[in-house]
Amino acid sequence: MANMNMIQALNSAMDIMLGKDPSVVLMGEDIGYFGGVFRATEGLQRKYGEHRVIDTPIAEGGIVATAIGMSVNSLRPVAEIQFADYIYPGFDQIVSELARIRYRSAGDFFAPITIRTPCGGGIRGGQTHSQSPEGIFTHVSGIKVVMPSNPCDAKGLLITCIEDDDPVVFFEPKRLYNGPFDGDPNKPAVPWSTHPKGQVDEGYFKVPLGKADIVRAGSAVSIITYGTMVHVAAAAAAAMNVDAEIIDLRSLVPLDVDTVCTSVKKTGRCVVAHEATRFSGFGAEILSIVQEECFWDLEAPIQRVAGWDTPYPHAFEWEYFPGQARIKAALKAVLEPA
Amino acid sequence: MSQFTFKMPDLGEGTVEAEIVAWHTKPGDVVTEDQLIVEVMTDKAAVEVPAPVSGRVLSVTGAAGDKVAVGSPLIVFELSDGAAAPASAPAATPALPKAVGAPAQTVAPLAPPAAKGRVMASPANRRRASEAGIDLSTVAGSGPGGRILRADLQTAAPREAVADLAGTTEIKVIGLRRLIAERMSEAKRTIPHFAYVEEVDVTELESLRAHLNQTRPKDAGSLSYLPLVVLALTRVLESFPQCNVLYDAARGVLVRHHAMHVGIATQTPDGLKVPVVRNAQSLGLWEVAAEIRRLAERARANKATREELIGSTITVTSLGRLGGIASTPIINAPEVAIIGLNKAVERPVVINGAVVVRRIMNLSSSFDHRFVDGYDAAAMIQALKERLEHPATIFIPTVKSS
Repeated sequence: MANMNMIQALNSAMDIMLGKDPSVVLMGEDIGYFGGVFRATEGLQRKYGEHRVIDTPIAEGGIVATAIGMSVNSLRPVAEIQFADYIYPGFDQIVSELARIRYRSAGDFFAPITIRTPCGGGIRGGQTHSQSPEGIFTHVSGIKVVMPSNPCDAKGLLITCIEDDDPVVFFEPKRLYNGPFDGDPNKPAVPWSTHPKGQVDEGYFKVPLGKADIVRAGSAVSIITYGTMVHVAAAAAAAMNVDAEIIDLRSLVPLDVDTVCTSVKKTGRCVVAHEATRFSGFGAEILSIVQEECFWDLEAPIQRVAGWDTPYPHAFEWEYFPGQARIKAALKAVLEPA
Repeated sequence: MSQFTFKMPDLGEGTVEAEIVAWHTKPGDVVTEDQLIVEVMTDKAAVEVPAPVSGRVLSVTGAAGDKVAVGSPLIVFELSDGAAAPASAPAATPALPKAVGAPAQTVAPLAPPAAKGRVMASPANRRRASEAGIDLSTVAGSGPGGRILRADLQTAAPREAVADLAGTTEIKVIGLRRLIAERMSEAKRTIPHFAYVEEVDVTELESLRAHLNQTRPKDAGSLSYLPLVVLALTRVLESFPQCNVLYDAARGVLVRHHAMHVGIATQTPDGLKVPVVRNAQSLGLWEVAAEIRRLAERARANKATREELIGSTITVTSLGRLGGIASTPIINAPEVAIIGLNKAVERPVVINGAVVVRRIMNLSSSFDHRFVDGYDAAAMIQALKERLEHPATIFIPTVKSS
């Protein structure tokens, strides 16, 4: 075991997979010589060469399209889109080609591609460096969608995704790269070395897809969340002294419906939280499933905490970001006597 | 007392006014919610408007033929104390406006928010109420907007039908009940019972029974199937002596009895008793009937002597109208056979390709399979069936073949 931040954990995962499987290649903007804008691929081109760790032009559509071509020719590309905000030029390739290769070729071809992309706000990045577009991809049949909330899960999930024979979009909450974040920007940054999930096995290990993590067991309310909001929700519940059960979904597709519904049936109350905008967000899907499966156990209307339905702002970031105050308001509402 | 003004509802897309066709209420009337109060007609449809609340009518606006604009006051109610007025005038919308002249249709006002009659409760509390048998419409909600909270359910009374009667009553197993229990257990434990059920066409037996009842001696009671079966049984047992047996387990001997002492399983207030018709083979029908009646009365009155209750060599059990279609009687040890009568009912029966109504009664019997083989048991019941289906043979002595 070693102390790792999320960048180091992701780097370790890719290092292990490059060494283990000669068909694994990395590709993306500035990932090779420069080592990635967030340093996730630092040292890997030097170690594995320019043919395994490839610097690409600034053309996301081309990155995805090239990766698709490589994947159907027996390679296993891990493509980095430098920010999730830049993924849209590749969107047509992802939706129209990547997601459907297995279906369209009746199983003759498949595309074992992992698209890594940093997402989310909290870094004063404004509208072009802060978006959380995971819900756009969960709506596309044929791709898996993953978002870790800590270094340990990040490494285990990334290895699982690289080994998966179908395409995965792997969202990395960039505010969590260097430490857990409880939503309060005024507090000094905390490193991952202070967090149990900052202890990461240096070797090969996997975290399964479709298996949510019960971060904290509780009986009063279930908070269903993922990514950065896992830490915000935990801090808010602790500050209110609420015995919340906090569930980190980790993978949105496939979704661990059993863990979610078992929890809500137990607590009878549910709050869904994500950074992404509220309207047609992934939280709506969770709400829908919970009411379908747990309706007769619900003590109160399900609460949603999400980003406002606007572009991610340049100014007033902390009014936009769904911080502890919004979680607390939702907890207060859902915990009303019923 | 409070007042509630009901305004002309919006009766459909584009309706601005409606013509009053007929009032079905007048000032001073007391109306109940949903009662028809007025018929109106728009340019699209004739509509019956029900009362949105219960109360006394104070005033109405407009007479037949007048047009009243949508949203203007139509009728003013005086509500009794505690009755909640709808928060807003209900909007009545005909689902499918019909052409003028079409039959009037009733329009239910949309339930206004938190109006009375609308139960507000979380799904979980609805489930709890359902499981506890609580009618939520009888529960006063203490939450916001009258919402029923979990705490309100604690004090609510469950529906009477599901009242939970706590407590138990203990009855000591003593006396006759203990004796019955021990004998039943012993018989069931030690005897390998062989059950055999056969149906018997008792149409002719019934005809005979009816005739005998009509012509019976004055002092004789009404005749049931039981004496006829007992008598038939005595005739049959002459050919099946292996069924008229007591098993002496201590000596390992089967004791065949030449006399037929037929036990009659009898329900008494104390429990099951088996008084014995002694030497039934030597009695006539009316004697058997009288003896069964006498013994039953004595057993029920707890006056039967010990001698009247012991010594049977075979037992007949009949639940009369409660006889059911089949049963598995427990042998009255140390006997080796028990004959059970099930209920006689008319059934459709196929005879020579035609469906006819016949009276059918099943015989459900048990035999001690250690000493009575299945073949013999079946043959014995078939012989009994033959006698009962041809009742004259009950009264004809058995011809010994040898």
